[in-house]
Amino acid sequence: MNGFGAAPLRTGVLGCGAIAHEHLEYLESSPLADLVSVGDRSPAARRFAADRYRVPATDAEAPDLLARDIDVVHICTPPATHPALVAMALEAGVNVVCEKPLAPSADAAGELLELAASRGLMLVESQNLRWNDPVLAIDRLAGSGRLGEVRDVEVSLWFDLTDGPFGDPNLTGPGVDLPAGAVHDFLPHLSYLFLHHAGHSGSVDEVVGRLENLSGNPRVGYDHLDALIVAGSVRGRIRVCSDVAPDGFRIAVRGTRGGVETDLYQPYLRLQDEGDTGIGAPIEQLWSGLRLVGASVTNLGGKVLRHGGYHGIPRMLEAVYTAIATGGPSPVPPSWILSTALLNDRLAGLATDRTEAPS
Amino acid sequence: MRVLVTGAAGFLGRAVVRAAHAAGHDVVAMVRPTALGADTGPSLPWSDLPIQVVGADLRQPGPWVDEIDGVDAVVHVAAATSGDLPAQFAGTVTATENLLRALSTRSLRRMVHVSSFSVYDYTAVPVGGLLDERTPLEPLPRRRDAYTTTKLWQERLVREACEQAEHPLVVVRPGMIYGPGSDWDHGAAFSSPHLAFVFSPAAPFRLVHVTNCADAMVLSLTAEVASGSTFNLVDDDLPTHMEYFRACRSAGLTRRRAVPVPWRIIESVGRSTDLLDRQIPGRHLKLPELLELRRQRARWKPLRYTNEHAKRSLEWVPKVQMADAVIAMEKESG
Repeated sequence: MNGFGAAPLRTGVLGCGAIAHEHLEYLESSPLADLVSVGDRSPAARRFAADRYRVPATDAEAPDLLARDIDVVHICTPPATHPALVAMALEAGVNVVCEKPLAPSADAAGELLELAASRGLMLVESQNLRWNDPVLAIDRLAGSGRLGEVRDVEVSLWFDLTDGPFGDPNLTGPGVDLPAGAVHDFLPHLSYLFLHHAGHSGSVDEVVGRLENLSGNPRVGYDHLDALIVAGSVRGRIRVCSDVAPDGFRIAVRGTRGGVETDLYQPYLRLQDEGDTGIGAPIEQLWSGLRLVGASVTNLGGKVLRHGGYHGIPRMLEAVYTAIATGGPSPVPPSWILSTALLNDRLAGLATDRTEAPS
Repeated sequence: MRVLVTGAAGFLGRAVVRAAHAAGHDVVAMVRPTALGADTGPSLPWSDLPIQVVGADLRQPGPWVDEIDGVDAVVHVAAATSGDLPAQFAGTVTATENLLRALSTRSLRRMVHVSSFSVYDYTAVPVGGLLDERTPLEPLPRRRDAYTTTKLWQERLVREACEQAEHPLVVVRPGMIYGPGSDWDHGAAFSSPHLAFVFSPAAPFRLVHVTNCADAMVLSLTAEVASGSTFNLVDDDLPTHMEYFRACRSAGLTRRRAVPVPWRIIESVGRSTDLLDRQIPGRHLKLPELLELRRQRARWKPLRYTNEHAKRSLEWVPKVQMADAVIAMEKESG
């Protein structure tokens, strides 16, 4: 029995690649979940996952896994396969947690959300960074009113998309088979973080900028995005840069009374508010310096304790499983998923001079 | 025999290609497409030899599946040696799975699989004890590293597939393969610009020279041994960590001064962190190899090693001696 007096939810995981292991770490130890099977077309991958996380069964094909009378399935397969697998799971009456992006377009995401609603099932796109410590800290600051009215949100990812499997020249075919190529794999994170901190329903007035392939690597599709966004009274910028170092994932939120910035890869928090001017400026810098030292110690501890960049996933999954078990609302409601997909579409539409990915 | 060598452009693979060719085999060398140098022309390490080259990345099926038609034997060297678990899983396990699938319908006279000493359970042998082919395999790979985890799975897949397809199999487990281009930091655990910290200075260093290692693998192609046989490969008269460091220093490979760190000190630190680790339920600390007891033991625990089984069964004679090897390494680097 789980903490709600019910049997744990019977769960399966489709796709046993890197991100699936983050889900499986949670599922292995959660009293809310009963891991029934893992599925992957690679026998080695599914056997490895089953062995590592003590899963009693494996399946090569999705229909076989879905036929195991499961309550929840996690879709952790390559992005291009998501819509078909999600639809299959919903048709089979199974709640779905899908890795991002749920679908390559807002239209496709909307259809899946409608299907889930019509079946009375929960469909969750993994928006795990909402549960990361720095994002929650910014939420608390914004909620306390210390930032005033949010006016400016900047989300910047500095990460070499050409390095690793997305751009590996030894492999064939596109690294990520999505409209915005490798950038698209990160777009949902960038979009929902922008919309989340902008604090509105998701309607975006204007998006201008460039989505480009600066590396010339054909497998990545696109590796550079620089977009300016206007959404009501909030302006902002979303960027992906592949050609700078070191890696970073910065969020800066500025309001009428103060601003805060952080980095999700090397977390810290710098808060500047109305009082941090004049004589207050050096004092703020001193405090920021001390907080930076504290953050470095916390980050080192986080690395030793394996509190890495994916630490939001178990928190998100805990919320999802609790909601399913109690019949509560989804912690990632359909409106969030749809508004994220709509902004993804706008950003993917900035494409210029695409270097064609090999077929 | 017509012998496919995977990972043929790598440190060990290129030596295996040369040794197999020298032994009279018809070699098919499999290298990653980027090693073919599409833009700059072939610059393969054995481009002076009449060898068929197949450009392939085993992580994906492709035309290579047909291009390896007609091979009689395989020396499977290809594996990922760095990167996180997903990267090493893809480069080692998925790659091997694809190779085995391609070979499953073919008839092989011999499969030689290159495993590793990293698969052993170093807690199963007491300090000063003998680690040989009968030593159990690591039961807790999650407490070691991605390399150990993936090499264990790779070997498991190979054994299962060869048994199913009735491919006669030899598994070789080399020690620390050294030679020009790979000197293991002269035996130091870590170094500063002026100092080299040599852990377990009096413990045998399980070295095998790349040429000796390649020779053993080529002998494994034709040796009359039972399918599934396993052979540890280390050189004769193994030096200690400190003796190897001194040999490298004498040869001019390093000018650093050695700081010996006895095993008892290393282990004490490891035991302390292990004790700390056990105080945190449900979470295993992520520490560098230098501080993690199970990984320390795999790397620096004073043990004895033997190559008798390989020498006797494969009629292997490790020809390259360390004293000559370090001089050659210095010449190569100079």
